[in-house]
Amino acid sequence: MAKLHSETRALFRGLAFVSPWLVGFFAFTLVPIAMSLYYSFCDYTLLQPPLFKGLNNYRLLAHDRVFWKVVLNTTIYALMALPLGMIVALGVAMLLNLKIRGLSIYRTIIFLPSLVPTIASAVLWLWLFNSKLGLINTALRVIGVTNPPGWLTDVHWAMPALVFMSVWGIGNTVIIYLAGLQDVPRELYEAANIDGATTLRKIWHVTLPLISPVIFFNLIMGIIGTLQVFAVPYVMTQGGPARSTYFYTMYLYDNAFSYLKMGYADAMAWIQLLIILALTALAAWSGKRWVHYQGS
Amino acid sequence: MSSFSTRILSGIKRLVVVALIASGLGLLAFGPRAGEELPKDCVIVDYWEKWTGDEEAGMHQIVDDFNTTVGRKEHIYVRYLSTSSIEQKTLVAIAAGTPPDVAGLYNQDIPQYGALDSLQPLDDLAAEHGITAQMYKKVFWDECHYDGHLYGLVSSAYDVALYYNTHIFRQSASALEARGLDPQRAPRTIAELDQYAQALDRFDPSGRITLAGYLPMEPGWYLNYTCIWFGGSWWNNAEHKFTFTDPGVVNSFKWIQSYSDRLGPTAVNDFRSGFGTIDSPQNAFLTPSVAMVQQGTFFAHFIHRQNPSMDGHWAAAPFPSALPNLRDVTYCNCDVLVIPRGARHQKEAFEFIAFVNRQDEMEKLANLHCKISPLAKVSEGFLAHSNNPYIRVFDRLAASPNAHPTEPIPILPEVNDELNDFEQQLQLQQVSPEEGLRQVQVRLQQKYDQFMEDQRQRRKQHGQTAF
Amino acid sequence: MTSSRPKFAAHLLLLVICVAALLPFLWMISTSLKTLAATTAYPPTFWPNPIQWHNYVDVFRNEKANFLLWTRNTLIIAVLGVTGTTLSSALAAYGFARLRFRGRNVLFVIMLCTMMLPFPVTMTSLFALFRWLGDHTGIAWLGTFKPLWVPLWFGSAFNIFLLRQFFLTIPNELSESARIDGCSEFGIFWRIILPLSRPALAVVALFAFLAIWNDFLGPLVYLQRPEQFTLVLGLQNFQSKAGGTSWHLLMAASVLVITPAVLLFFLAQKSFIEGIATTGLKG
Repeated sequence: MAKLHSETRALFRGLAFVSPWLVGFFAFTLVPIAMSLYYSFCDYTLLQPPLFKGLNNYRLLAHDRVFWKVVLNTTIYALMALPLGMIVALGVAMLLNLKIRGLSIYRTIIFLPSLVPTIASAVLWLWLFNSKLGLINTALRVIGVTNPPGWLTDVHWAMPALVFMSVWGIGNTVIIYLAGLQDVPRELYEAANIDGATTLRKIWHVTLPLISPVIFFNLIMGIIGTLQVFAVPYVMTQGGPARSTYFYTMYLYDNAFSYLKMGYADAMAWIQLLIILALTALAAWSGKRWVHYQGS
Repeated sequence: MSSFSTRILSGIKRLVVVALIASGLGLLAFGPRAGEELPKDCVIVDYWEKWTGDEEAGMHQIVDDFNTTVGRKEHIYVRYLSTSSIEQKTLVAIAAGTPPDVAGLYNQDIPQYGALDSLQPLDDLAAEHGITAQMYKKVFWDECHYDGHLYGLVSSAYDVALYYNTHIFRQSASALEARGLDPQRAPRTIAELDQYAQALDRFDPSGRITLAGYLPMEPGWYLNYTCIWFGGSWWNNAEHKFTFTDPGVVNSFKWIQSYSDRLGPTAVNDFRSGFGTIDSPQNAFLTPSVAMVQQGTFFAHFIHRQNPSMDGHWAAAPFPSALPNLRDVTYCNCDVLVIPRGARHQKEAFEFIAFVNRQDEMEKLANLHCKISPLAKVSEGFLAHSNNPYIRVFDRLAASPNAHPTEPIPILPEVNDELNDFEQQLQLQQVSPEEGLRQVQVRLQQKYDQFMEDQRQRRKQHGQTAF
Repeated sequence: MTSSRPKFAAHLLLLVICVAALLPFLWMISTSLKTLAATTAYPPTFWPNPIQWHNYVDVFRNEKANFLLWTRNTLIIAVLGVTGTTLSSALAAYGFARLRFRGRNVLFVIMLCTMMLPFPVTMTSLFALFRWLGDHTGIAWLGTFKPLWVPLWFGSAFNIFLLRQFFLTIPNELSESARIDGCSEFGIFWRIILPLSRPALAVVALFAFLAIWNDFLGPLVYLQRPEQFTLVLGLQNFQSKAGGTSWHLLMAASVLVITPAVLLFFLAQKSFIEGIATTGLKG
């Protein structure tokens, strides 16, 4: 009896402490999620009462070629930006981990771009990519490229330009990798040296397995981030030219606040949520094969 | 590092922290604030408007006129609030239940807003104030209506014509005359416009464009309506059907495409990347990089503001049409004042709207904005003293039977986005006009039918007045 | 890895990377000091000549932008938001880290899952919810700063997670002895754990500040009038109005938007790096 009593007290005490989050979770997460699920089955203009239409929004989405266009664009962007960002970040982190002098200065400079607010960096790169007056094409002309691409105004180069730009802001990821790399015990490398392993073999057999949890973390965060890309193309290209940089969240935003099709937008949001959950689950499932947790 | 320099470093750090916090607190305590002193005994009418700069200053004069005359008598005070992306923000504010009393929208917002029951119909208030159709040029009165209801009144109106650089025309006189063209006047048909454009094009030794006679994409604001100069239209209002495959529409886009075909899409792109917006000295017509542009009445003001040395070196004429018997064609647009649903001071708001629509105030604002008057009656003084030396051309065009309004379609934002995409594809030569227009037709008709079907069902379920 | 050749190569590579990372900043600063004519001169030059310092003054005097007011707005939201999220997250993190109760682990996992939730899923419904709150409490929510800072008083998953990791490292004996002295649980949290966690709290506050400083979609959805804009929203607004023309002013404004974040970073570099490293490591 006394045990039960103390357990109940512990429960109340615990709930009291986590209550700020718990209340917020119900009010600002759970209720909106439930509402958005309901609206996704409705025609809802926000100005008029919702009209229940069953699966109509999902059916319309399946036949909406702009929807498929943004799905394709977002997939292409993710497939380019995610691996590129992760590999470059890992490479830079490995360089930084060579215990060389000036590490903290290099690290600071590489981290600096990820401090820049998204909008500010979009504005900045808009200027850098300017096909006539921008830094990038000026540099390209200096090294002898006579006809550099129009970047953001060129239907083939706009997407690569955004990917290229995303690599500039990987400082965050570099720091996370670097911390992981510094946790790798030095004895393991020494042992590998004795075995006469080459650098590549050491990376493959020692480094990568040991930092696989960090890679896994960055992969999940990267999936979530790249699939939601919004602010940068919203400012830089507005989805153009010819919708070549029109991404999922942008179309969702336009449907919600420009066309006032909240139900349609919510259906898109739910599809996005399910895709992210599925990809995360897939990553977690595959992770069982390649992620090695030390100790546990 | 010695402990001494560490101490200095941490001292600097502390100093920076203190400076940051102090400036932050200072800004919080003494920084600029939103809000102003408001008269106590008046009904405050909140008026959201899109304009900034000169346009805002112009409207401020009208607001002040109102506040010191009618407003003082009736105890109404209009507060002007400048708002960006007004069409979205107002819609969202209406949805949020916090709308302004008056919103300054674009005429093309009226169908969407009207269809979503988000505007107060003004038919009765207008009748009370004696405001009738006869007082307006027909095209503008039409643009204020959707589905038989009056939803707004005009604040500022313009129509579109051809601006041409007479200085360049004179310089290129021999080239023009060689083609049998008259350098003293503007082209009168589309075929002639093409001839003028080619005669005026200039290239540098490497083949790069340095001056284009005409570029449909510069500024490209009226591409959606270029079909009207080809005798076409993409909307059949009687049958509620899009008609994007109408020959006039197809031909207009074929003509637009002919320019990127002739000059090369990449060359045009490169050329245009150095152009500034309308309100900059780098504007293509001002530098000058383009000799002829399709622009609205207000453009004269921007020419004067950004490059006064061009005053007297340009002229305006009706934009030429493709068909011989089609004359004085123009596309008309206006800014409208509406009362959002749920606005708290509707009667007072309309007092202000009616005030702006008085002939004297309307002409005053039209002159300040360098636009035309939407009213049927135009005073000689207005025409004589307008800041646009070609105001008579514009005024005549707007009163012409071939003055064309924006199509009254409730899904216009989607129509515009879709056409914008199609035009970009066209310019990049990704799609043929026929195929592109066919896709646009199918997609938009389906969106429109769905929208109307949902609205019909909603009315059946919830009755006429929703919410 | 002791021979000098690989190290030399590494230095060279890092140098190239650093130049690539810094060049955009330099171009931004250089443009921000140019005259309008110099920004459009072709071919462009790297060094501004003449140097036009008053671009920075012009940014504040610009008729299209009120950066001082926007900075003040951002600071209001930041002060309210940072205070709220730090306190509430600490409270919840204490519950998750140092109290045992039934369902704790389930709740913790749910909380971690919310980190994956895309904002658009709740965006439209939150909008409707805030309208409902406005209609039923008589206090306007939409068109005010409230939607941007009030939710932050209910903890955020990321911060709770970060603080929990830190609280776990504080020895249990400290709270045990306090408990024996008759200290209440809240007393232990307030008087023992919080003072010991200052570095972690600083990290959370820093991240929260940066998140608010950088947030775009939230202000875009909830704020309606320019006099309410945050700095970033104002910058975007300024860009859409002045873009393609006043690049020198636009770059000067960007420099001003970026500077506080960079300054903060230099002041708290160590906490920053550690904070970021922790998020990735112990996931």
